[in-house]
Amino acid sequence: MVFNSIEFLVFLPIVVLLYYLLPHKWRWLMLLAASCVFYMWFVPKYILILLVTIVVDYAAGLLMERYADQPRKKKAFFIISIVSTLTVLVIFKYLNFLTENLDQLCASLGMETHLMTHIILPIGLSFHTFQSMSYVIEVYRGHQKAERHFGYYALYVMFFPQLVTGPIERPGNLLRQLHEEKRFDYDNISKGMRLILFGFFIKMVVADHLGEYVDEVYGHLDEYNSWTVLGCMVFYSFQIYCDFFGYSTIALGSAKLMGFDLMDNFRSPYLSKNIAEFWHRWHISLSTWFRDYVYIPLGGSRVKFGRWAFNILVVFVLSGIWHGAAWTFLLWGFAHGLLHIVEKALRNRLPSKEPKSKWLKISIDALCVVKTFVLVSLFWVMFRATDFEHLKAIFETAFTNFHGGEQMSVKPGMWIYLGLFILSDIVLRNTRFDLWCDGKPLAVRWLIYAVLVFMVIACSSVANFPFIYFQF
Amino acid sequence: MKKLLIRIGMVLAMLVVLNWVYATWFFEKDLRKHSDIVELSWDVIDDSCRIIYLGESSNNHYGDEETNHRKISDFTADYFPTVKMGDLTKSASHAQTYLYMLKHIPASSSVETVVVTMNMRSFGPLWIYSKLETALRKQLVLLEDHPPLVNRFLLAFKAYPIKTADEWDELVLEHWRNDTFNIPNLPWYNVADWNYAKYTYGWYDANGEKDWDVTSLACHYIKTYAYVIKDDNPRVKDFDAIVELCRQRGWNLIFNLMAENVDKANELVGNDLMLLFRLNRDFLLKRYGNLDGVTVVNNFSLVRDVNFIDQDWTTEHYYEEGRRIIADHLALALRDFYPDDYRNPDSLKMDTGHYLLSGTKTLDRQNPYSMTLVLTADSIRPDWDMVNVAFEIKQADSLDKTIFAVEKLDVQGEKSVDSYVVNEHVQKNGTWDFATFTLPIDSTFRTAQKTKMYVHNFSDSPVQIRNLDVSFRPAYLKARVKAQSYKSEDFHNGE
Repeated sequence: MVFNSIEFLVFLPIVVLLYYLLPHKWRWLMLLAASCVFYMWFVPKYILILLVTIVVDYAAGLLMERYADQPRKKKAFFIISIVSTLTVLVIFKYLNFLTENLDQLCASLGMETHLMTHIILPIGLSFHTFQSMSYVIEVYRGHQKAERHFGYYALYVMFFPQLVTGPIERPGNLLRQLHEEKRFDYDNISKGMRLILFGFFIKMVVADHLGEYVDEVYGHLDEYNSWTVLGCMVFYSFQIYCDFFGYSTIALGSAKLMGFDLMDNFRSPYLSKNIAEFWHRWHISLSTWFRDYVYIPLGGSRVKFGRWAFNILVVFVLSGIWHGAAWTFLLWGFAHGLLHIVEKALRNRLPSKEPKSKWLKISIDALCVVKTFVLVSLFWVMFRATDFEHLKAIFETAFTNFHGGEQMSVKPGMWIYLGLFILSDIVLRNTRFDLWCDGKPLAVRWLIYAVLVFMVIACSSVANFPFIYFQF
Repeated sequence: MKKLLIRIGMVLAMLVVLNWVYATWFFEKDLRKHSDIVELSWDVIDDSCRIIYLGESSNNHYGDEETNHRKISDFTADYFPTVKMGDLTKSASHAQTYLYMLKHIPASSSVETVVVTMNMRSFGPLWIYSKLETALRKQLVLLEDHPPLVNRFLLAFKAYPIKTADEWDELVLEHWRNDTFNIPNLPWYNVADWNYAKYTYGWYDANGEKDWDVTSLACHYIKTYAYVIKDDNPRVKDFDAIVELCRQRGWNLIFNLMAENVDKANELVGNDLMLLFRLNRDFLLKRYGNLDGVTVVNNFSLVRDVNFIDQDWTTEHYYEEGRRIIADHLALALRDFYPDDYRNPDSLKMDTGHYLLSGTKTLDRQNPYSMTLVLTADSIRPDWDMVNVAFEIKQADSLDKTIFAVEKLDVQGEKSVDSYVVNEHVQKNGTWDFATFTLPIDSTFRTAQKTKMYVHNFSDSPVQIRNLDVSFRPAYLKARVKAQSYKSEDFHNGE
């Protein structure tokens, strides 16, 4: 079930109503059933994959705790759990890619093979496997007690607001909250509704309208000139941000209606002054996952520069591959890692004195923000390109076709939607929409609600754009 | 709780205001942008339009080599020069689309008669679960009977079936597997079985090799037409709703049942598919033909194979000759509503007898011939290649002994008769039905000293004929008409 559908708008109030009507001891069951319905709305049979992951990791958690005083056994269960989860991920996400490349490799060596598989990726697989792994790692490390109640553990993995595209929660946050008895609170309902409304606005009004332009230009590169393609790169940067941020905001709002606080996934990433800051603000639940479970175990930053650079590259290449099984994603991750290393190397060499003039500082910061945005936008092309040929064609058209092809006209409405979003992103730099509204007078709040409701209903794109991160 | 109720009240008030804003400044623009079918209803139908024709690609398709691109609706309109006819044609549309188009015809319009294309194929799973359905259904959301803001809300939140091409295909496959025929004398259980058998047995060419192209086409005919229309068919519900709507608005309603390529279906698949054709055609004729205020024009088997554009697929795309035949037939039905406005545009209305429009006549044992049209060799103009014959017939039961005869007397005084069995074209017994033929003017026609055309009833049962209508014209395409030749001695009393 997707958030921007009639089905979800019927489903969510029923679940919330049942949640508050049922006694606490039955709520987990209702939420688990609702999550199953939510997931099975896509492709029902894939719930079996989830079930396998849940059973294995649940058992592994209990066994690791039981054998806490026998490190070898504990480690064995840990490895079994991680390997089995990764095996599921490899089979369903990477096997097509691996076999295709093996076929190509064999072909280049003069051998004809037909290893290519055609497995359909279960929706949200990367998200819930990572969430499940974070539980196993936390239990292994002794930071988290193993969950004894199978239902609660299953609900932790399957909690529907964040099941298919995150935020990738940690047991310390979500599992704990699932056990808590939540009481009906008007404030939660109000905040949840605000978040959902704002999420719909950025997904349905901003991202989907941008998507129409992006699909048109990237799909017909030969028809457009460089200015249009460069503009399209900027549009895609906002499309992917609004698409994912919109989903995360609706997820946060849906959970908030029942009193659950999920972690923030974005914090105005395009206002970052460097790539390191960007990754502190973009897809926070994933970047912190990699930080906690890959980067720090590799040694983090408390190593020599060379080793640190290696750690960074490993993390970003893995992050690229996590997004998708294609060379373009790997390249995208590598590019981010490389930029991270270059920026750090430059920072180490350049003097770190703050300018005395306030305006000079603002100007330098603004330039840094623009620089980071431009680089990130260029990197998004790798993310969006379907393959290397497409990637090459995009860059060629973007930088060599200034005098040929058409200039795409953008409707005034698009600039208004984008302008409103950028304004909101600046205003909400250090807060969240629901919290920001709290401080406003009733009339202002309701005026904002009315404008958003109207825009979501009357100005949303009618094109059908699935959430971009569904494919991961 | 009180706070919550106040907030709910505020939300409702806000929605009322937003609905007003949207309806006043945005709705019409959105309708034109996202539901362009309504543009047809608004822009085509002006105040002077008295007849409207709703069609799909059968109306506006023409052959690549054709120079005349006129539609069925254009040819029909030629018969009624004093009545304005509006054309609402949108490719791939079906009864549900027509229903929404009709709903949005302004109340101020002068529409009196509605001609709705009834396409047999649209009742089948391949069309019901077509990949085009997502786009078509999306178009209809804004046209629902709700406040404008609610419609826009439903459109924004995708309240229409969004399915991938594979998902639609899966629904079709499911239908083929699960929808059983349950018809005595039909040896097939469902489409899947039938298709498998046809595919396995297949077609063989002259060299004994399996002809995969023909086999695939035969299978495609099975997959397209092998279904039984029942009351719960979604298209039946849509046509029912159209009947109801037309009654409410006081419109005459004509369902124009389009011709399918019966010749090819018969040749490729045979009697089993013909049985389903008949069952489905009779279902539609019975369900809608007997309703007050509803006329069904049965063109189902009127157009011959040669007049279908797509020879390797199942469509209702006709060459000009086919479009003309259907237009002629439809015009005859419309004549009941507009008798004084009816003119035959292709006929020569003259005293030389090239054109004949008879009154009603009963043919029986004592008087088995209809009014006869007599032509001499010099009256056949060189540019004439075709004769269109249309008449109405009423018979008590199924007969195979009524023919339309073309009798030629050559220079040696030898008489030959080409006969066309009327019964193949008549579907209803006990009521007036149409029969039409398109005949080629070949060399025997041109060299004949005298040519006579008439309807001949061999049987004991009386048959009534009216409005026998014969017209000559140049060929739009060289249509082949299967004819059977009889020698003069086969007839008892030629004159």
